[in-house]
Amino acid sequence: MHYRSGMRRLLAHLLLAAVALLMAFPFYWMTTSALKTNDEIWQFPPTLWPHSPLWSNFADAWDAAPFARYIGNSIFVAAVIVVIQIVNSGMMAYAMTHMPFRLKNAFTALILVGYMVPVTAVYLPGYVVLSNLGLLDSYAGIILSNSVSIFSIFLIRQAFLQVSHELVEAGQIDGASHFRILWTLVFPLARSSFAVLALITFIEQYNNYFWPMLITKNPDLQLVSAGLRSFFVQGGAYGLKWPLIMAASAFTILPLLVLFLLTQKTIMRSVNLSAGASKG
Amino acid sequence: MRRSRLASEGKALLFTLPAMIPLSLFWFYPLVYVVYLSFTEWDFMSPVKTFVGLDNYRYLLDNPEFYQTLRVTLLFCVGSVLPIMAVGLGLAILLSRKRRGGAFYRMLIFSPWVTPTVAVSIVWSWIYEPDVGLANNVLHAFGLEGIRWLEDPNWALVSVLLVTVWKSAGWSMIFYLVAIGHVPPDYLEAAELDGASGWRKFRSVTLPLISPTTFFLFVVLTISSLQAYDQINVLTQGGPAGSTRTMLYFYYLSAFDAFQIGEASAVAILLIVGCVALSLLSFWIGRRTVHYS
Repeated sequence: MHYRSGMRRLLAHLLLAAVALLMAFPFYWMTTSALKTNDEIWQFPPTLWPHSPLWSNFADAWDAAPFARYIGNSIFVAAVIVVIQIVNSGMMAYAMTHMPFRLKNAFTALILVGYMVPVTAVYLPGYVVLSNLGLLDSYAGIILSNSVSIFSIFLIRQAFLQVSHELVEAGQIDGASHFRILWTLVFPLARSSFAVLALITFIEQYNNYFWPMLITKNPDLQLVSAGLRSFFVQGGAYGLKWPLIMAASAFTILPLLVLFLLTQKTIMRSVNLSAGASKG
Repeated sequence: MRRSRLASEGKALLFTLPAMIPLSLFWFYPLVYVVYLSFTEWDFMSPVKTFVGLDNYRYLLDNPEFYQTLRVTLLFCVGSVLPIMAVGLGLAILLSRKRRGGAFYRMLIFSPWVTPTVAVSIVWSWIYEPDVGLANNVLHAFGLEGIRWLEDPNWALVSVLLVTVWKSAGWSMIFYLVAIGHVPPDYLEAAELDGASGWRKFRSVTLPLISPTTFFLFVVLTISSLQAYDQINVLTQGGPAGSTRTMLYFYYLSAFDAFQIGEASAVAILLIVGCVALSLLSFWIGRRTVHYS
């Protein structure tokens, strides 16, 4: 009996180790490929670690396309969107949970409908709207069109439902405005949900590709995914300079892996919260 | 009294504006607009949109390419959703017991989910490289013939699916870990006292109790697989011979490549109807299933 359970434990460990290795291996392969010379990368059989790691590939890739600009764009756009979403989700969720008004049910229903509609399906009419507003090819366009997320609203609403009405009323008796109550009394109580919102939104927007690619043609405005993809396709990079392409992929991906390492707990907890948020 | 009532209504509306304005501009209005567009013929440029009634829908239903697209979409949904759930559940079962290195395994397995799809798809296209790519090297090592992963119509969809499953399996694992953690230990002990084996305990106690999670994942993953774009765009662009062209990709191509706005809008409507139907179904079933939390 003891022997059998020991065997089982070992088997489980082996299986887990194999899967974990499989999941992480593409990242390892990306890194070693980035350090190889163009000759070594075409060698058979492939080397697991390059003979003489060519660290200069990273610098060469960095200079081969305006990656600093792309990454800067992504960080800037994602950060601004996070701030806006904190404000508008907070206010919307507060109105939905702690302010009585006649249109509340109508608005809630409307948002629920929005939750069911796949975003990508409205990209075409959204593009026409943005072009009529004259906001194609601008930071304002990218930011404004991503400035609200139904998921974020639900997430914060879920947190605000836990806040008692008495607290809000006590604030009102003290003469505080709703705006003040929201940001000084309610916000601190829900800060872990806001942290999740910030992190998830940042990652999502940093990685965002399809929509920003559609609405920006100017290379100066490209986010990192679109920039990386055009480096991959153009400039003779396609299939010829794999080490440089892998180096460029590496400095796009690694910041996120580092962010993930630092904020693991919050990110994994977000999974929990997102399940709650979508149950409404 | 009436004035203060009015004032509080106004204040509440004011609080909703920062969210409602962008929502109306980029969500609700486009939703109505795309219905209208689906009844017209337009090419983005010309100032007139010709009203053509149901012609766009009729044209779609007569188009054999559209049926291929439907088939690919179905294959893509089934081929991504089921493996993501099965792998996630399997890993969650293995990791649900406290074991050394558990947190480390969990971290590695979850990590693909946070990375940008475009960048990791580029890494995968290097792995799929037909001459010296890692995938074919592994096949060669086992004495097997190499595959032209992304250029062979029989393998292209499989290649895209592999990337999709790789990226999301860890995400569904986390959901299942939480759900399994919520199964009350007394239930399992009771089953054990009744002489239930490990498998029997899992099948009769754990599996029914985590069914809300299974259902939730099924709906969310199906909706997101209907919207998959990034990996298809990087790896195959819908090719070869349309073998990876899903409905969404078809929509994108007819809108932004062929400029057939009416036809593209009709595809969008079908997508929307599909997703809304799925969500409504999930609300309906969700209300009927018992929650244990």
